[in-house]
Amino acid sequence: MRILLYIFIISIGIIIGYKDILTEKWMRSISKIQMLCLLFLLFVMGLNIGVNRNIVNIFMKLGYQALVLSTFSIIFSIIGVKLVSKRLGNIKRGERGHDN
Amino acid sequence: MTISILLSVISGIAFGLFIFPQAYVSSIGIIVDIGLCALLFFVGIDIGRNKDILHQIKQTGIKVLLVPLMVAGGSILGSIVGGELLNLPFNESSAVGAGFGWYSLSAIELSKYSAETGALAFITNVCREIIAILTIPFVAKYIGTLEAIAPAGATAMDTSLPVISKSTDGNTAIISFITGLTLSVLVPILVPLLIAMG
Repeated sequence: MRILLYIFIISIGIIIGYKDILTEKWMRSISKIQMLCLLFLLFVMGLNIGVNRNIVNIFMKLGYQALVLSTFSIIFSIIGVKLVSKRLGNIKRGERGHDN
Repeated sequence: MTISILLSVISGIAFGLFIFPQAYVSSIGIIVDIGLCALLFFVGIDIGRNKDILHQIKQTGIKVLLVPLMVAGGSILGSIVGGELLNLPFNESSAVGAGFGWYSLSAIELSKYSAETGALAFITNVCREIIAILTIPFVAKYIGTLEAIAPAGATAMDTSLPVISKSTDGNTAIISFITGLTLSVLVPILVPLLIAMG
């Protein structure tokens, strides 16, 4: 059910973005709101982890193993995607980064 | 941006650990949900504004699924290698890795096998999500945009997606969503399968 909700919300966003309803001025403010929302969400996600004593306790016990397993998973995933990223080169075009 | 992300997550964890009153814990989930929905809406706008994305996705076709396939293979292989170093049995380490960052589901599935493995799956996949959010901007900048999807795993369709969208572009955001979706479908299939191989 949650997946359907996500698809629905993203689709509405796509339609609004595609129809050029929003002017450049609007887009600039949206970009700022987006960044603030993102930082706020990450803060609350961190909060959600910090406040959960269960997570903290398990981390004290199994944190070392967890860090090894998750780090290796991530590194091998990146290597895996790197192996195929050239074959998917044609979809990598497009405006690069609004990194700010 | 990377530093602001780092500061947000870490100050959130610290605030939760030391300051936040336990009484309000139940309302955090709702705030996360609302924030996530707002951000997914913005990601949608970014995707929609880039007019030729859908055309390009059509052109690439089924090959798009190579990304989730490689992330799935890499995650499981990586956790097996990590598990070897920790002397964990093959079925346990591979099943924990097949959680792809979806900590609630993988932990529930594996706690049927043993409480300890369930706890390990939980904390490993929580770590994966945090490490993903912190490293995605770096991976996008120094390794590649498609590669930036890899750390996120199944969270590439929700919690990590806003970070991926901000550090890359609309094209990558939609591939990220497809990747997260595919991996989320695989978790409930692969975790029980791998743990049964012991």
